[in-house]
Amino acid sequence: MLLPVFTLKLRHKIIPRMVAVGRYDGTHPCLAAATQAGKVFIHNPHARSQHFSASRVLQSPLESDVSLLNINQAVSCLAAGVLNPELGYDALLVGTQTNLLAYDVYNNSDLFYREVADGANAIVLGTLGDISSPLAIIGGNCALQGFDHEGNDLFWMVTGDNVHSLALCDFDGDGKKELLVGSEDFDIRVFKEDEIVAEMTETEIITSLCPMYGSRFGYALSNGTVGVYDKTARYWRIKSKNHAMSIHAFDLNSDGVCELITGWSNGKVDARSGRTGEVIFKDNFSSAVAGVVEGDYRMDGHIQLICCSVDGEIRGYLPGTAEMRGNLMDTSVEQDLIRELSQKKQNLLLELRNYEDNAKAELSSSLNEADGHRGVIPANTKLHTALSVNLGSEAQAAHAELCISTSNDTIIRAVLIFAEGIFLGESHVVHPSIHNLSSSIRIPITPPKDVPVDLHLKTFVGYRSSTQFHVFELTRQLPRFSMYALTSPDSASEPLSYVNFIIAERAQRVVMWLNQNFLLPEDTNIQNVPFQVCFTSLRNGGQLCIKIKLSGEITINTDDIDLAGDIIQSMASFFAIEDLQVEADFPVYFEELRKVLVKVDEYHSVHQKLSADMADNSNLIRSLLVRAEDAHLMRDMKTMKNRYMELYDLNKDLLNGYKIRCNNHTELLGSLKAVNQAIQRAGRLRVGKPKNQVITACRDAIRSNNINTLFRIMRVGTASS
Amino acid sequence: MDLNLNRADYLQVGVTSQKTMKLLPASRYRATQKVVVGDHDGVVMCFGMKKGEAVTVFKTLPGQKIARLELGGVLNTPQEKIFIAAGSEIRGFTKRGKQFLSFETNLTESIKAMHISGSDLFLSASYIYNHYCDCKDQHYYLSGDKINDVICLPVERVLRDVPVLACQDRVLRVLQGSDVMYEIEVPGPPTVLALQNGNGGDSGEDLLYGTSDGKLGLIQITTSKPIHKWEIRNEKKRGGILCIDSFDIVGDGVKDLLVGRDDGMVEVYSFDNANEPVLRFDQTLSESVTSIQGGCVGKDGYDEIVVSTYSGWVTGLTTEPIHKESGPGEELKINQEMQNKISSLRSELEHLQYKVLQEREKYQQSSQSSKAKSAVPSFSVNDKFTLNKDDASYSLILEVQTAIDNVLIQSDVPIDLLDVDKNSAVVSFSSCDSESNDNFLLATYRCQANTTRLELKIRSIEGQYGTLQAYVTPRIQPKTCQVRQYLIKPLSLHQRTHFIDHDRPMNTLTLTGQFSFAELHSWVVFCLPEVPEKPPAGECVTFYFQNTFLDTQLESTYRKGEGVFKSDNISTISILKDVLSKEATKRKINLNISYEINEVSVKHTLKLIHPKLEYQLLLAKKVQLIDALKELQVHEGNTNFLIPEYRCILEEADHLQEEYKKQPAHLERLYGMITDLFIDKFKFKGTNVKTKVPLLLEILDSYDQNALIAFFDAA
Repeated sequence: MLLPVFTLKLRHKIIPRMVAVGRYDGTHPCLAAATQAGKVFIHNPHARSQHFSASRVLQSPLESDVSLLNINQAVSCLAAGVLNPELGYDALLVGTQTNLLAYDVYNNSDLFYREVADGANAIVLGTLGDISSPLAIIGGNCALQGFDHEGNDLFWMVTGDNVHSLALCDFDGDGKKELLVGSEDFDIRVFKEDEIVAEMTETEIITSLCPMYGSRFGYALSNGTVGVYDKTARYWRIKSKNHAMSIHAFDLNSDGVCELITGWSNGKVDARSGRTGEVIFKDNFSSAVAGVVEGDYRMDGHIQLICCSVDGEIRGYLPGTAEMRGNLMDTSVEQDLIRELSQKKQNLLLELRNYEDNAKAELSSSLNEADGHRGVIPANTKLHTALSVNLGSEAQAAHAELCISTSNDTIIRAVLIFAEGIFLGESHVVHPSIHNLSSSIRIPITPPKDVPVDLHLKTFVGYRSSTQFHVFELTRQLPRFSMYALTSPDSASEPLSYVNFIIAERAQRVVMWLNQNFLLPEDTNIQNVPFQVCFTSLRNGGQLCIKIKLSGEITINTDDIDLAGDIIQSMASFFAIEDLQVEADFPVYFEELRKVLVKVDEYHSVHQKLSADMADNSNLIRSLLVRAEDAHLMRDMKTMKNRYMELYDLNKDLLNGYKIRCNNHTELLGSLKAVNQAIQRAGRLRVGKPKNQVITACRDAIRSNNINTLFRIMRVGTASS
Repeated sequence: MDLNLNRADYLQVGVTSQKTMKLLPASRYRATQKVVVGDHDGVVMCFGMKKGEAVTVFKTLPGQKIARLELGGVLNTPQEKIFIAAGSEIRGFTKRGKQFLSFETNLTESIKAMHISGSDLFLSASYIYNHYCDCKDQHYYLSGDKINDVICLPVERVLRDVPVLACQDRVLRVLQGSDVMYEIEVPGPPTVLALQNGNGGDSGEDLLYGTSDGKLGLIQITTSKPIHKWEIRNEKKRGGILCIDSFDIVGDGVKDLLVGRDDGMVEVYSFDNANEPVLRFDQTLSESVTSIQGGCVGKDGYDEIVVSTYSGWVTGLTTEPIHKESGPGEELKINQEMQNKISSLRSELEHLQYKVLQEREKYQQSSQSSKAKSAVPSFSVNDKFTLNKDDASYSLILEVQTAIDNVLIQSDVPIDLLDVDKNSAVVSFSSCDSESNDNFLLATYRCQANTTRLELKIRSIEGQYGTLQAYVTPRIQPKTCQVRQYLIKPLSLHQRTHFIDHDRPMNTLTLTGQFSFAELHSWVVFCLPEVPEKPPAGECVTFYFQNTFLDTQLESTYRKGEGVFKSDNISTISILKDVLSKEATKRKINLNISYEINEVSVKHTLKLIHPKLEYQLLLAKKVQLIDALKELQVHEGNTNFLIPEYRCILEEADHLQEEYKKQPAHLERLYGMITDLFIDKFKFKGTNVKTKVPLLLEILDSYDQNALIAFFDAA
């Protein structure tokens, strides 16, 4: 049994995920964590006498070996590590929604303080690819930025949605680190410097990522899932009803391989084998775990695993010794194994008995009422499933439809569908009332996103009076574009926007792709090239046309730029296309984007004006206060009162100004997000190298504020004509 | 001294009922004892442990489900004859497994509880109690509610037969012959009875009881009256008690109390100087503990607690240390034993797996033929649906002998499903189309591997009634599911009680008409929980109930052709009126409903609610302040500048937050009930005041008792 080697109870709350250990003076590891009221505390148990005292840092009134750092803003990410290798000690990086501070704790000075418009939701410190100096990479609103120790912006990238987690990991095994980005659109993207090398779609927001070893990394989702990926393949995952607050890789059983340590919202900490996900150790805190980090906190040459709870309890664990043979829990392994084997034996015996009973039942007479009650059904009962498109009626919106029916007079009592990402929870249940029971059921399905989904069906089959039901389990795949219904071509309503490209594929292969990704009626027969298919979106009635010419030229007409991107990405993976350049035009979308860009400029100027106003006002306040106090000293109570009244009004103005600034800022963020997304979308219309070229070129165009070039790049893929 | 017990699993039999495992008396002090256990397959198995291996002494053939197993014998000799109750039959075995008795009792119901004392046999089925002497019928008693357990004070010490019945209606009935001597009210439905120290304590009259809501107590049954000695309330919200034994496991010369609960908790209480029980040890097993006994099984010289669980595990919690401190060679030997056991199990499994595969194939083939039938495997589900008095919510406990895969919960009434900390299952709520399919709640629980027990918490609303269904799918092949139904009654938050306060202002509802006693009783069963389904004996009956949330009360007295319901809460009367008239119309019975409303009762009910509401409002206010105050504390370093009230909040912060967490939506529920009260008050007057409800909510938002009462009076 592994016990903590030390336990501390600090009287400061810790904000989840905002914990880091660093050697801020080069030798003593100290724990830094964000706490309430926009403060960061640094716990330094080693040098009791020596305290930092300056304007920014102050001694905690609650604890002797804790110093507090005032940020005056809610901290949104925190990291510690070497930013300037020449300095020889670690820097503390604190990100908020508007700024990034790199702080030298030892000398009490700022290394740099940068304004970051996109906010900093996540931070990671380290070297990326071929960039020589260590970077502090922050992820914000659809954007990634990397700063060196002087605050120079050496890396800038956009990504699909708001970034929630970052990690550096040698993903492709070339000895250099790639950047893993987990974002709000459920995607994990891997950046090799500027290039996206892989994209994995998960089922929820990715809240944490951590490198394990080699190309393996752990991840955690906001729905309570944690797991491990090896490159693009998921190794294992588990789901809990609690949320994983923090994950960290640490070799707890000294077998040379890191385990995935997870801190949960219910206060549980567990260590799972990186290979199998099996729990090898667990412990419990009385409140949610805020962070899991590692460091030589006792300065004895051994690295400990350090777990912190939100209430400020800190426990350190040393890795298990060789004698423990990996046995970190108090129950003996053998006992558990015996119990498991016995349970298996009981299950098999039970199953055997079931078959025996069944054989006996078969000998008895034909089906009767009592049998139905016990749940006896004809053995040849089969379940048919069919997926189709339902155009809907007045009462019901259009939807994809799953039809399940039995092959005889048995009824379907209920259907459970377990699928990820398309329902509110992880499952959808259809349970008809006792009067509406029948042998077939139609289930409307409306996936909110165009993703292929595995539907795991559990169907309860029996008779009306049954108290026991057979459970038929089967899996059907819902095609990616199931929310599009085939319609007859109609050139009048054809969307103006288009994407145009050439692929070298036989028409049959394209038809195969169509069949696999759309719900086509069974009698659909597509003639030879050239042909044209049209679809209507069941979500908004938008049109989609795919035309194929003899030359292999494909035109996709749709006003939905996301859909066009999805189709191209889906085709690229189906036909294994590595590089694809396209010509695209989305007049409506581009016009909107132009408006957004104009708005961004407006917001920026408003922001500047408001900041100037605020500076003016604060000067005024200073003078008013002095004058009011002067009056106080002169015992001129009337003037003093007047001055304070003025001060009060001014304060109210300031508050109002602040509210305006806040609104302005949120709107600015929204617009910036739209711009970042537009770049991302323009990239998604291409594949491989052209994709990266578009993103880089768009970025440059935005930097140089050249809107026309930006649109040109989005249309043809390059800046030069 | 710290009690340190190590778990050792001995053997698994079939599913077991409550009190079906016993240890045979030892030949000498601290020698190993044999274990006898009876399961639902009807098999009685006797085994002993030799070198870590279970060695069977005897094993009977399968038969009817065994409900109880007791030991008996001639008084003042070792009690080593084995008696089992299966169906309506009692069988007796010697310790070698020879059957010497088979006694068909001719009871119409199957036997639920049994006690043996010399040649006296005390049996109880659901409602019937019977006393036999030498298999001859002696006494008989028909109980008003279900009998859960029966016991008799030690006849060799009190020198008379004093049978005690534990009845579901929270009463212990002490009998004399065929008559009730007196009744004792206990704090919860008693599920198990045991003699203190195994012999009735110093007086021979001390009786232990355990209840289904987890309470434990000691009562002295004297000839004239009961004396309550102590009671342990279930503060930690643990499971119901299924078995009790007395055994000196601590080794201090005083027998300790061993308790097994239905949430897998095993507890040891020892007694302090004042003879009050103190918790010394607890450990959870993952499933219901059906029987418990102290003794020595694994190795002679080491005392242990032997338990049997629902899925049939016989497990020891032994004082024998796992890692011995004798030389390193010894440890190796233990490991060797384990390894042997594992390898033998593995080979057994392989053999079974092969057999199962064959059968599976056969089964698959049979599905091709058109005549064949496919039956679903039956599995037993152990379920419990009870009302918790503390937070006025229902808890549903489902337990299956094998691991559960998933559970679907469906309800046709609006209810809230609350999270239970103990559960590890992933819950997912599905959208439901309530109009066409009567679904108000559809939720799936996907269980983690090895979950055999699932606990749910449900909050109901009085006046809305219907059925809750649970579809349980275990992880066995062929896949199958079983549905269980639970009724949510109209007055779902009421609980039976035996005494009410007659001085309260009461509203009365009187029913008259052409209906029988049984019919009216069935309506009462339909409306209220904890009423026996069988109509009670006699012509007229009175039941008392208490609202667990508001503490208002209900008195129901009825006979053939007339029923009177009295309550100090107008809403209760209103619900009864609606439900009863609906039921009567459904059965086309002509009912005369008359009611008498006492205006004062509304004020009285509001006064009852007042302290609860005030407390909740204050609590909510305090909890809101905690974070801000803590921030101030961090900023300023001390709390001296705060007013005492705020300082007090900071000091109690943890406690307050815990209290607040414990009662989610408590305030909303209180608001709902006040609104109902308001609507119901005027409904009886014939005015509809639904339009004034927003005004009422406004008053509640800035709550003041007098303003509220004034509003009730004025509207």
